[in-house]
Amino acid sequence: MLRHLFKLIWNKKGTHSLLIIEVWAAFMVLFGVLTLIVFNLRNYLQPIGFQYDQVWNLELSSNQDTTEVAAKLQRAMQRVKSYSEVVAASRMSSNTPFSANQIGNSVGYNKVNVGGDFYYTDGELFKVLDLPLKKGRWYREADLAGKFVPLVINQKMEDKLFLNESGLNKVVKIDDKTSGKIVGIVDKFKAKGVYMSDNPALFYMFRKDDRWNSNILIKTRPGTDANFEARLVKDIAMMLPGWGVEVGYLKDSRKNRDNLTLVPVLIFLIVSGFLLTNVALGLFGVLNLNIAKRKGEIGLRRAMGATESGVTSQFLGEIWVLATFSLVVGLIFAVQFPLMNVFDLDREIYIIAILAAVAIIYIIVTLCAWFPSKQAAAIHPAVALHEE
Amino acid sequence: MIKLQNVEKVYRTSSIETLALNNINIDVKKGEFVSIMGPSGCGKSTLLNIIGLLDAPSKGQIEIDGSPVERYTDKHLAELRNRKLGFIFQSFHLINDLSVIDNVEIPLLYRNTSAKQRRELAQEALEKVGLSNRMKHFPKQLSGGQKQRVAIARAIVGKPEIILADEPTGNLDSAMGNEILGILQKLNTDGATIVMVTHDEAMAKKTDRLIRLFDGTQVS
Repeated sequence: MLRHLFKLIWNKKGTHSLLIIEVWAAFMVLFGVLTLIVFNLRNYLQPIGFQYDQVWNLELSSNQDTTEVAAKLQRAMQRVKSYSEVVAASRMSSNTPFSANQIGNSVGYNKVNVGGDFYYTDGELFKVLDLPLKKGRWYREADLAGKFVPLVINQKMEDKLFLNESGLNKVVKIDDKTSGKIVGIVDKFKAKGVYMSDNPALFYMFRKDDRWNSNILIKTRPGTDANFEARLVKDIAMMLPGWGVEVGYLKDSRKNRDNLTLVPVLIFLIVSGFLLTNVALGLFGVLNLNIAKRKGEIGLRRAMGATESGVTSQFLGEIWVLATFSLVVGLIFAVQFPLMNVFDLDREIYIIAILAAVAIIYIIVTLCAWFPSKQAAAIHPAVALHEE
Repeated sequence: MIKLQNVEKVYRTSSIETLALNNINIDVKKGEFVSIMGPSGCGKSTLLNIIGLLDAPSKGQIEIDGSPVERYTDKHLAELRNRKLGFIFQSFHLINDLSVIDNVEIPLLYRNTSAKQRRELAQEALEKVGLSNRMKHFPKQLSGGQKQRVAIARAIVGKPEIILADEPTGNLDSAMGNEILGILQKLNTDGATIVMVTHDEAMAKKTDRLIRLFDGTQVS
């Protein structure tokens, strides 16, 4: 019977060509949207790697002030640490967690170069973000006395840079003049939000006299409120006249980052939802018309021995065959993505998206064909033959 | 082979009740060639649909090959139609998107017949009606007579014992009609029981027995 259905649809391919194209287009859009969803969902299911609930970002900007910037930053840091509401504080570069800023660079080891996000911090970051170590330890003041810059990397960076070796205590090249020594390895650090992938990351310890990295991450005690925020801003502004002082909550920054990811996904979902609805309505209409046009054939098949359920199965089978034609064409395009490693995504993401898109297309065509097929089966054979 | 007792068929709508067949009693013996005649609207096709198990009578009993079919399920009736009955229609009812041989194979699709066997049986049936050279053609490429021969091949491909023909020569000229009747007579000689509805008195006279209907009632 399957062969018969393939033959029937193949012989009518001209008539069905637009429908085949429509299902193909729906599959391609669905594949794109599902790839995006699977990618984000997989990222979401991965732990973010650090704590941010009670963490504030104090952003200091020296503006026109160029005198003793490093000393002023150190004083501000001391002041922040002195509050009883503060559990821990750490200075870091402007690419604080969930911020839109990014600092990218590459690091080399044994002719292997890996690009990643660089975070310039002091030795206190792990206390503020509760960053657990997998191996080694966090860098400390004493490490700055050594020949190499103390570094901590994440697992992703270790995997890419050292392949199957351990990266601990290895010396890596940062640029022509600078080399660093890896003293610790953290697990994950998804600094750009829960929906972002865990990119290779490197934490680079700067010296106390650094004047460029002016963000202070502050871990506050639970229950610390806006009164403290106002006091903090007022005190620091008084200490650093002419400087810009802003406080942001990492929790809020995370929400903003999440929205930046979710909004495009939502837009794609709405667009593909409209497209799929159109495809479904189109299929439904075409099938209804088909049944009206093929009453004689339905009567004939009943006369030749088809049961009611046989007629239903035939019409469902026809739509599945038609969908299969579209999906075969769609799959030729879709499999290029994992094969050619497009956008550097895991193959698994594409494969899951392909399988889900195929399943959804079959579900949609089945739902659309179910009612018309049942209608076809309900046509009385004597009436169908007479009408012809 | 076919036995109808006190068969009645009434069509009902909310306001009208139409008696299409009234007290029909027919007994067609195995190997008989029977024709049913009557004016338009007298219930010939309704009677043939009832004999062919495509429609159920409002009253009365039907036996096919000794088995009463009243309590048969849809599945049983479909199987009986497939195994025992072959249908030929005035308007051929060929599927235009399938080739001649694929059209002929249709009844075999509803049996557990392998693709190879289906092809062999369809070829054999087409040879019997003299169309083995048109197997790959499509219905639109055939004349009316050729289309009816394809329909006959489709009716006999499953080797049914009964052939039901609803005005098989109605859409053909007399020469073509005679040719089709000749094929039916040959099938009857080979053992098939045939019931044919016709308008054509001359055609009817060439069959073993004539049943006349008038206003849904059997008059002879």
